Amino acid sequence: MNAVITGIGWVTATAAGCAGDFKDFAMPEKPLPDITSRAIFGPLYPYARRMDAYSKSGLAAVAFALKDADQDQWTEKRNIGIIAATETGCLKTDLDYFETVKPSKDFQPSPALFSYTLPNTYLGEAAIRFGLTGPNFVIHEQAPLGLSALKLAMESLELGEAEKMLCGFCSLAVPAPFDAIRKGPPGAVFFLLEKLPEDTASVYGPVRLDRKNRIFFNRTQIEDLAVLVQIAMASRRARQRKT
Amino acid sequence: MSTLVSDLISSPPSKGTEAIVPVITDAVAITGLGDGLGVLWQKLMRGLSAVRPVDRFRTDRYTAGVAACIEDLTTPPDGSLIHPLLDRLFCQMGPISPDTFLITATTKAGIDVLEKIQTGMPADLQDVSLLSPAVAVMKAFNLTEGGINISAACASSTVAVARAAAMVASNRANAVLVCGVDVVTEFVFSGFSALKALSPAACRPFDRNRNGLSLGDGAAALVIMNPEAARRKKRPPLGKIIGWGVSNDAAHITAPDQNGTGLIRAVSRAMGMSGKLPDDISAVCAHGTGTLFNDRMEMTAFRQFFGPRRVPTYSIKGAVGHTLAATGAIEVAVGLQALKNRAAPPTIGLQEPMSEAVGWVNNEPVAFAGNCLLTTNSGFGGVNAALILEG
Repeated sequence: MNAVITGIGWVTATAAGCAGDFKDFAMPEKPLPDITSRAIFGPLYPYARRMDAYSKSGLAAVAFALKDADQDQWTEKRNIGIIAATETGCLKTDLDYFETVKPSKDFQPSPALFSYTLPNTYLGEAAIRFGLTGPNFVIHEQAPLGLSALKLAMESLELGEAEKMLCGFCSLAVPAPFDAIRKGPPGAVFFLLEKLPEDTASVYGPVRLDRKNRIFFNRTQIEDLAVLVQIAMASRRARQRKT
Repeated sequence: MSTLVSDLISSPPSKGTEAIVPVITDAVAITGLGDGLGVLWQKLMRGLSAVRPVDRFRTDRYTAGVAACIEDLTTPPDGSLIHPLLDRLFCQMGPISPDTFLITATTKAGIDVLEKIQTGMPADLQDVSLLSPAVAVMKAFNLTEGGINISAACASSTVAVARAAAMVASNRANAVLVCGVDVVTEFVFSGFSALKALSPAACRPFDRNRNGLSLGDGAAALVIMNPEAARRKKRPPLGKIIGWGVSNDAAHITAPDQNGTGLIRAVSRAMGMSGKLPDDISAVCAHGTGTLFNDRMEMTAFRQFFGPRRVPTYSIKGAVGHTLAATGAIEVAVGLQALKNRAAPPTIGLQEPMSEAVGWVNNEPVAFAGNCLLTTNSGFGGVNAALILEG
């Protein structure tokens, strides 16, 4: 199976934005920047204020990946899907919500918080914000920054289930003692995959899923999504230098 | 047939020139109606319901006090209820080849351990990870090919079945075990209560006086195989998955799109892949939660999709409650029974159908001819999923 990466976006402790705007990618074990609604989503997006931090980070990375591929503007809904991996999902929001369920005088479980106690809710936000009607869901896998979301997205493209697919991951730090669940660094990274890109200017390069279930970018075997970002960025820089 | 439906069916997704049609070789389930798919089917056909007062936690602070809990499910001292539930599911399952890929589906896994932590009881923190059911299943069957969990709200295990079918159709796996599991917890119960989505009494899907959903414990396991591999391993197919489709409403994060467009997209994608036409569908297993908006949206979508033909349509949630991530897998298992018996089970709780569902739903079993069944689920985040089973 083959696809082409046409956009990459991320929110990590060092930066938040489109891959095309940066020279390097890093994902250190540090707190993520605050995602402000106006900076990321524009002043006209009313729903951003209601979201939890997990949703904001994930939605911002999706937004940056689409912008990087010049696909963030739309008028008609599009058959673009999203498959997102996570380790901790919305666990911090779960804890916040469950605080409202504690027996007390002010007992009032929060319906607003409860709506964000599913790890896939932010994919619905992304679908609304960018008119994405393709298949979307969240996966958990054992390897942090693993490649399952990418493989499933490529399969979806191959079967014609969507015209384009976003895939990546979003995981946030959680308070002790629940931090024992998390093995990878906090952050959100998304890729836009296409079969036949309309605009070759933003192309990073081809990604291939072989019969042995291995992922290659150009001819380099990829072990995790962070490495894929670095290699894809290097590949595009090399191509831009040549031209 | 609407323009949207005809447009979508005329440009279907392709399974390739030499399509592999995945088969289901094993199907087991546990619900509030008991252990085993046979028991579930018999009790459904008799019109029984497992919805009863909850004694697992206090409900006096909430808008409802009933759910379809499994009565003799006992919480382990330091863990989640999902473990005894999965153990009972494993007892029903035949041998699973170690090279089977695993896809679990859960919305909240062992979130009930938060209740233990809040009250100072010992608890295994790993149970709150949505990967915890997958870890338990891999350990129980010594699976070597790894696995993932899929979380797509109430459509989780329907999406899991679709991905399992896609893996088999793409030749990426010969066999995939899908396990859906969720339990009734105070965490989830309080949330649906806060959203005013719980029915005070057992839910009444597609009824004109429906007023919310009832939650339920549930788990189901399905083995989805390459048909040639199934033949080699002498695993006779219970049915085929001939089409699947997943879509997003892109409209609202908790309320379904009232014009049904998102569900129509999912159904149309599944139908396009199957090569069938709407007239080939003999029966529909609807999501049918019993909420005002879900049931109305579904009937809007089905009426647009099927046109004037009234297709036998049922919901099992009045019997076993809404089992969240497990619901799709349980409904596939029941769908296989419906195809085998050529009968749609009654919609339990239905007294007087909502006007849009008159002639579609029934509180008695309905015999049908034909061999294709559509099953659908929708959930928070705007997700819709549809499967077409052939039996």
